[in-house]
Amino acid sequence: MRFLIIISAVFCYGFVDSKKIRGISSSYKRFYRERKSFLCIDGSKIIPFEQVNDDYCDCEDGSDEPGTSACPRGRFYCTNLGFRPHYIPSSRVNDGICDCCDASDEYNSHAHCQNTCWNLGQRERAYVEGQMRTLDEGLRLKQQLIEEGVLLWREKQAQLRELQQVAEDLQIKLEEHRRRKHEADRLKEQTLKALEAADSGLRHQNSTVTSIFELLDSNKDSSITVDELQAKVALIHDEERVLSEDEAVALLGGGRQMDLTKFRHTLWDILTKGDSVKIKDTHGAPGSLVGEDLHLEAADRAAKWEATNLKKVEEAYDTVNMEISDLRKKLAIDYGTDWEFLFLNSQCYKLKVYEYTYTLCPFNQVTQKNTAGTEVSLGKWGMWAGTPKNQYSQMVYENGEPCWQGGSRSATVTLTCGTETALRSVKEPSKCQYIMDFQTPVACQPVLKQRGIHSEL
Amino acid sequence: MNELQRWLGSSQILLKISCLLDFLYRMAPVLLLWLAVCLSGTWAVDRGNFKTCDQSAFCKRQRALKPGESPYRALLETMELTNTRLTLQLINDNNKVRLLLELYRLQGNITRVKINELKPLKPRYEVPDVLIREPPTEPLSLLSQDENGVVLSLGAESQRVIVSARPFRLDIMEGREVLMSLNSRGLLAFEHLRMRSKQQSEWQQQVHISHIKWRWSLSFLSHYNGDPYRLYNLDVFQYELYNPMALYGAVPVMLAHNAQRTTGIFWLNAAETWVDISSNTGSSETPQTDVRWISESGIIDVFIMLGPTPNDVFSQYASLTGTQSFPPLASLGYHQCRWNYNDQEDVQSVDAGFDEHDIPYDFIWLDIEHTDGKRYFTWDPHKFATPKEMLQGLMDKKRKMVAIVDPHIKVDSNYKIHNEIRSRGFYIKNKDGGDYEGWCWPGSAGYPDFTRADMRAWWASMFAYDQYEGSMENLYTWNDMNEPSVFNGPEVTMHKDAMHGAWEHRDVHNLYGFYVQMATAEGLIQRSGGVERPFVLTRAFFAGSQRFGAVWTGDNAAEWDHLKISIPMCLSLGLVGISFCGADVGGFFKSPSTELLVRWYQTGAYQPFFRAHAHLDTPRREPWLFGPENTALIREAVRQRYTFMPYWYQQFYLAHRTGQPVMRPLWVEYPQDPATFALDDEFLIGRDLLVHPVTEEGARGVTAYLPGKDEVWFDIHTFQKHNGAQNLYIPVTMSSIPVFQRGGSIIPRKMRVRRSSSCMEHDPYTLYVALNPQRTAEGELYIDDGHTFNYEKKEFIHRRLSFANNVLSSVNLAPDAQFTTGSWIERIVILGASKPSKVTLKAADGQESQIEFEFDASMSVLTLRKPGMNSGADWTVTLQ
Repeated sequence: MRFLIIISAVFCYGFVDSKKIRGISSSYKRFYRERKSFLCIDGSKIIPFEQVNDDYCDCEDGSDEPGTSACPRGRFYCTNLGFRPHYIPSSRVNDGICDCCDASDEYNSHAHCQNTCWNLGQRERAYVEGQMRTLDEGLRLKQQLIEEGVLLWREKQAQLRELQQVAEDLQIKLEEHRRRKHEADRLKEQTLKALEAADSGLRHQNSTVTSIFELLDSNKDSSITVDELQAKVALIHDEERVLSEDEAVALLGGGRQMDLTKFRHTLWDILTKGDSVKIKDTHGAPGSLVGEDLHLEAADRAAKWEATNLKKVEEAYDTVNMEISDLRKKLAIDYGTDWEFLFLNSQCYKLKVYEYTYTLCPFNQVTQKNTAGTEVSLGKWGMWAGTPKNQYSQMVYENGEPCWQGGSRSATVTLTCGTETALRSVKEPSKCQYIMDFQTPVACQPVLKQRGIHSEL
Repeated sequence: MNELQRWLGSSQILLKISCLLDFLYRMAPVLLLWLAVCLSGTWAVDRGNFKTCDQSAFCKRQRALKPGESPYRALLETMELTNTRLTLQLINDNNKVRLLLELYRLQGNITRVKINELKPLKPRYEVPDVLIREPPTEPLSLLSQDENGVVLSLGAESQRVIVSARPFRLDIMEGREVLMSLNSRGLLAFEHLRMRSKQQSEWQQQVHISHIKWRWSLSFLSHYNGDPYRLYNLDVFQYELYNPMALYGAVPVMLAHNAQRTTGIFWLNAAETWVDISSNTGSSETPQTDVRWISESGIIDVFIMLGPTPNDVFSQYASLTGTQSFPPLASLGYHQCRWNYNDQEDVQSVDAGFDEHDIPYDFIWLDIEHTDGKRYFTWDPHKFATPKEMLQGLMDKKRKMVAIVDPHIKVDSNYKIHNEIRSRGFYIKNKDGGDYEGWCWPGSAGYPDFTRADMRAWWASMFAYDQYEGSMENLYTWNDMNEPSVFNGPEVTMHKDAMHGAWEHRDVHNLYGFYVQMATAEGLIQRSGGVERPFVLTRAFFAGSQRFGAVWTGDNAAEWDHLKISIPMCLSLGLVGISFCGADVGGFFKSPSTELLVRWYQTGAYQPFFRAHAHLDTPRREPWLFGPENTALIREAVRQRYTFMPYWYQQFYLAHRTGQPVMRPLWVEYPQDPATFALDDEFLIGRDLLVHPVTEEGARGVTAYLPGKDEVWFDIHTFQKHNGAQNLYIPVTMSSIPVFQRGGSIIPRKMRVRRSSSCMEHDPYTLYVALNPQRTAEGELYIDDGHTFNYEKKEFIHRRLSFANNVLSSVNLAPDAQFTTGSWIERIVILGASKPSKVTLKAADGQESQIEFEFDASMSVLTLRKPGMNSGADWTVTLQ
């Protein structure tokens, strides 16, 4: 795209009109051809031609005084050769302030105005050229970002599909694990029931008598001694006290040791049915049936194992589903016609303004952090709020932290064309209402047009 | 702004003053009606934070006194009469304490009565600096004397003072009529200074140390049942309308007016004061009003201003406390303020907004956030890094700035102002002798003792360009929070036992804001070497504050009632000398509807101090933020203001010279027309402009009372003529601002409205000549440089413009004054004229020329085209 700067100086004045009328553009010259009288442009009045620009307002529309400050509704044309011509209100003619860069508005005042049009024009041209370069570069970058955006979009779509696949797989897995857990639970239940059924049975008692005997027989010599008894058995009513040797001997039926057969018929009964002594160590004490049974232990372990597995799969499934929902939400946002704004997602841009650091995370949130590190939300992603022509020129973030006098903070982000993506300025013109200037190539519009700089007489 | 003045300004008319102190006013029924209104209306003010009379020990005690035999007796044998004063001792027969009464006849029909203890334990506070000089006296002469009393002549008009001895009583008579009486109901009470005793528990509240302390009070009578008006300068958050609570400022002046006479009382006392007003209106007895003044400390020092006309009272009061300072012309333009314009860029963009939308303004304002951490005289180093650059940018557009300087000084050893004040011992002290510290915007803050002349001189020196860094000649000052406001103090102000040298804060409280503005204005004068007129806005004020600048009505709200009350509030202030008054356009708290904002601009454009202001928490409301239609309405209102700038300036010159208010209730100009007495929704600017702004939501019309039986008024927009002495219904639209020019007046205007008033300096004038039924008119034209004190050196133009016998002439009113102007007369509009055949201009050199003219027969408006003479010249224009 090329931008043309036309400088056309027309050196022909003085030939058409005998008298230059101050403050009009060439397109209005036809109204001011010197005649006997002048018709106000709105047609409301005819006045003698000498009364044009005589510093008295005759026409309602101000057309008789284009070059003076006499008319309240008048306007003065700054020719501004070398720069941009424009109109100023008549009230700025001869008010002591230089308004036209060609100094033409202060022809009868104390102001010392210099003709700065050429400099301004140059600066303007340089600026416009810079703008154009920026625009060109911006558009080039934008094209890249659009392409990236499309790729990213596809990538995200692929990611979504992948995740959905994972989710499906996980669902199958989940069902498998649920089945397995169910099975393990069932087994465990069965084992437990079987054990309970055999609770009063001999096999159970045998093994129980044997295990208690083994428990008491610390040195595993198939015989319980006084020492062993003293170490493992306590009085029910006085757990702290160690059995005396006599007491131990008494429990051993008068001898100093006892084998399994004798134990089964004497001490076993005392320990399980009597109320004078008990086994000190509760591990493996009578009643702790589960630990005793290896089957049951295995079944229990299996059930727990399956439960853990199921939980893991469930968690994985939830995570994936959450990711899917997040991704779907993100993909539901309007990223522009070509997904050109998509790359901003998951990016954050910071700017420090005086004592605050502002962070804009597009499509997510805006925050403000003070030097003490306290962070305040200035708003969460709301919507695009640009002009009907270009709705992507402004973003609104809403429902930030509440304000002292009601309402909540909000931020309006204006997107402008630039070669870099960066937060350029943050202001708070009214309390809790922030405005931000966010520059990015994707805001560059190929239709951007500059007002022409040209000159005329 | 105190409710008392609000009441006064409402021009509720007291029919007759019959007594001083125990004043027997005969009064019109309107007073009662107004008071009833005063008691209604509620808003967000937390009344619990502020005292009622019952909660104020001295007020309650004094108010409990009942009429009866007075214990006071005049000791006639102690009477001494010199050429200028009478002194006499009074004795209280109950406790044998003697008082000294002094009576003076002052020039200009004023009587002054002072009562003090004959031998107080220590001196009692007498208010300094409020009177512009020791008032000049006139001779008193003894007419008769016997054992019951004495009769003195007050000079002219058969006025006499009768002093009765047993009980003491004082009556001022004119002919056979009693104008005012003191102690006619035996309610004079003057509590003498005593050693503080432990039994006096009600005085213990603020007393924590056991050495000598005094508490006293004085009062006069009343039997009024509502709470009295309270004069005690306070920072009242979200103040309420229509009630007698204290507010930011106090002027202890009361006016009374009836169709025959206007009188006033000025109670010169700066301590907390309650004014109890009651009347017997409605009963069959002679109507009268009793007023009781109760002050916590000081002496009784009363000025009785005997009128008899409203203007006489204004000049009498002005002869005591001075007149309105003559403001720089630009300060009569439009002011754009907000808490806060955030940084230099913000200032620049608002400034540019005015140009873009072609709305004139003269001043942009910076509130407290512009400072470096609420350290006044400094700038925020980031947001206002280059203040001179900013000020220069404004100066390039002939505009100005006001920055706030409050009197609370941040306690911070790295802050120059604080260090200097501390090291010089200029801070107010607490009762233990240490520097008093209170909480305000900067956190812990000290309060400079502005009652000290040396402190004020130092403060003034701080405004020098080399002291106040970043300041320039187009930077002016705003004093806020000068009641003083102390966030953690009792009733949000200073403790009464804080010490100003030998005096307690209770003695000087109502003077603090007065002194702050005085010292600041002095600083702005000094920085220019005495050349430039200052502009200082203050929130707190006292009698005499008019000498130092402008006052605004404080932190109002964006509500229709607040718009309405701005009229009586400023009218009241004008009546007691303070003409330069305005209310925050748009309302400070809350956010105005667009309609309210537009109506407020339209009203503010016709009030003396015209400033828009908004609270920090409100959305932006610069004039162009409400759509093009409303921008146009606001632009038009502001432009109307600027076209009248010559008239405003002239009115302020007049106020400065004479003490007459700029904004006047109608009764001031029509004192004999009772229909004007109660009007407070319309007003006059000077004598010649009548304004009835639209202050009702959704209004489709207003009814304006046009005064003057044989007068006519011209609508300034349509030039339609209306008869006086009628209620005129005026249909209105959103663009309507009903304003009328009095037939018989000539008003100079400048119709080329530019970016700021300074840009209009050399512009030509349009004279609006409104003819009365006698086909005459009069007016004035005052011109000077607009900003220096050179007018005091006779550098001005002051001309009388008069129209009679079909001749309009300009005559020099000040032949000894010299000033040249480039401005000329571009147009003369004669309202109520008939069509001439020829119009001739005769210049000073005798040369004659014909002037072109246009005549609009439908409205009888004759417009003379471009007569072109210099505004300072002699000339006549003859219609033939």
